Amino acid sequence: MKNVWYLLIILMLGTLLAACSSEGEGSSGDESEGGSEGDLSGEITVWTMPFSGDSENEEKMWNNMASTFEEEHGVSVNMEQIPWSNRDQKILTALAAGSGPDVFYAIPDQMPQYAEEGMLLELDPYLEGNNMDDFADSAMESVTWDDSTYGLPILQEAYTLFYNLDIVKEIGGDPENLPKNWEEFKALAAKAKENGYYATSFPGGGSMNGALYPWIWQAGGTVLSKDGEVGINSDQSVEAFELINTMYEKEWIPQDSVTAMHHNELWEGGEMLAVTGSGINLQILQKSGEMDFEIAAPLKKEEQATYGTTGMFVVPSNSGNPDAAAEFVKYMTNAENQRTFNELTKYIPTRESAKDIFEDEPKLDKLAGFTEYTKPGVIHPAARDIMSPIQSEVQAMLEGDKSPQEAADAAAEAIEQQVGK
Amino acid sequence: MSQEETKEEEYRTPPEKQPKQPKKSSLKTRMKKHWDKYSLIYIFFVPIMIHFLIFQVFPFAFSFVLTFMDWKIIGDSTFVGFEHWARFFQDDLAHLAIWNTVVFSIYYIIPTMGLGLILALIINSGIRFAGFFKGIFFLPVVTSFVIVAGIWGWMFQGTADGLINMMLGWFGIEQQLFLSDSDQALAVLAGLSILKVSGSTMIYYFAGLQSIPGQLYEAAKIDGANAFRMFWQITFPLLKPIHFYVLIITTISSFQIFDSAFLLTGGGPNNSTTTIVYYLYEQGFTSLNLSYAAVLSYVLFAIVLVISLIQRKFLGKDDNIY
Repeated sequence: MKNVWYLLIILMLGTLLAACSSEGEGSSGDESEGGSEGDLSGEITVWTMPFSGDSENEEKMWNNMASTFEEEHGVSVNMEQIPWSNRDQKILTALAAGSGPDVFYAIPDQMPQYAEEGMLLELDPYLEGNNMDDFADSAMESVTWDDSTYGLPILQEAYTLFYNLDIVKEIGGDPENLPKNWEEFKALAAKAKENGYYATSFPGGGSMNGALYPWIWQAGGTVLSKDGEVGINSDQSVEAFELINTMYEKEWIPQDSVTAMHHNELWEGGEMLAVTGSGINLQILQKSGEMDFEIAAPLKKEEQATYGTTGMFVVPSNSGNPDAAAEFVKYMTNAENQRTFNELTKYIPTRESAKDIFEDEPKLDKLAGFTEYTKPGVIHPAARDIMSPIQSEVQAMLEGDKSPQEAADAAAEAIEQQVGK
Repeated sequence: MSQEETKEEEYRTPPEKQPKQPKKSSLKTRMKKHWDKYSLIYIFFVPIMIHFLIFQVFPFAFSFVLTFMDWKIIGDSTFVGFEHWARFFQDDLAHLAIWNTVVFSIYYIIPTMGLGLILALIINSGIRFAGFFKGIFFLPVVTSFVIVAGIWGWMFQGTADGLINMMLGWFGIEQQLFLSDSDQALAVLAGLSILKVSGSTMIYYFAGLQSIPGQLYEAAKIDGANAFRMFWQITFPLLKPIHFYVLIITTISSFQIFDSAFLLTGGGPNNSTTTIVYYLYEQGFTSLNLSYAAVLSYVLFAIVLVISLIQRKFLGKDDNIY
């Protein structure tokens, strides 16, 4: 029976070892608590996302950044890449278990929600001398909630219309003079339909940030303001609902727009006049080189506006090493590192001084110029809660169950309910 | 909701201790004896038990505690009593989600069982290349759900270019919207699940078919029964334990349906494919309302439990048919 004892001991040792090692990975820099600025030490864990298709070079870039930071500040940095799928789930469960990162990536509709829940560290005490005026206003707007700064932006995007020029020419449009406002767009869309093309895409199953909100803003409407004022059923906003409904009824947008997540096949197959896209679309189109395309400025009815996210790095409030984490966020988003990052990933830098990287790339430069019209979605803790009910109402409208006004009113009611909670 | 998975583990618990002749010996020697005899069982049982406690019992109990709290990811949670439970009874969307899930099971359970049985009959019929067909039928089961769903979504595209729409066009049937139509979307998703799962129900039925004694068929043949009669009089009734098992597992999996709605419709159009687990996920991880999500998960648990008990009462009892 001695063997049995050995087996038991080995099993127990194994369990202990496993427990220890996971402990070691999870807690990052607990020993360095209380370190003040300028006196940093310990360890931090940073979760980044795959921002481009080139994960190898991205990893190199992050590791370079980490080692330079380590040399300068004596803080060792673990860079970990987390896939996009289920990232909320991963971050939330890790944070709840106290084994989360010290720095992670967030977008503007997460930030106020997380901040309101007390999950984020306020960065203002760390920002003196960080040349904050250099950040674009539209980017700073996205990282601020309740007059506090909760993250520093590293990238911006601008969504705008990409036109297939072969189709534009075929239907008698002028490639030099693409639509600037709704009237011109509608005229061209009708021509596209006459010639058997779809005018554009409407991803009704995707995020309303890109699908619905830009139309509302262009019409001069709002969805939900920072102060909780609901504007989605104002006269202006309803015009956006009406336009989308018209586009669907006239089949300017595909019949499956109700739940489609994208219409890439139709666009790439040359059956669609225009899609809403950003830097990533530009990259794909330039890489394949098969389509003659042009990007046009965001449309205007009352206001020239479009959606464009702002990507930021934030520090969770339960970070074991907040000082080092905040310092690293500042470091990642300084002008030099923004140049390196955005040159590789083809996003738009948020620091004005870093925007010189696209001088040789006229299309990207043009796109970068549109960030002045971008809005980062709805900045409100309920931004993500309200999206699903709004989506349902738009779908009900497209299915013909509700008129645009009724859908907008129902959406407003749903938003009121969510905000009032 | 993995209560069912644990059943398997329960079977591995040690058998009842054999009543031994009580000899007058000290407790120590008795314990020693007991240990010598059963030590191996404990060594295998204890880690499983620990795993079971940590990963099954603890989450199950803790999520029940959650339902009475306003649980924060970071920071102090507050006790709110029955607030979340009360909310459930007024939440129309939660009721709709349950209804959608029930409708989904109606679309899903019987076809999955039927198709599995038909496939099993095909490969059991002694046709040539039975192994090849078995592989083909089983392929969707082992393929990643994301890929199968992607292909399904592409086939059922609601535009004129969609594969199924093109095929319908050959028969003069007009273009359908499929996933973009609230009356069809749930059925299309059920079709996907049927395709994905019937391969594994086929395997259960195949095992069941193999265990039916051949002399029954011989006797029936002598009595002049035709194939149809043999199926309904012998095969079908003798598969009863398999029917029961397959019914239970397909029922449970139908109530847990989530991934197809998540991948293909996002719960739409107009919430027509918002199932209970999809809604629960949204509440938990998009709205950070983990306490309410826990309430929903308990509601789901209760529904599955009640249905399983009913099925057991009416179907599970008499497997003494052999």
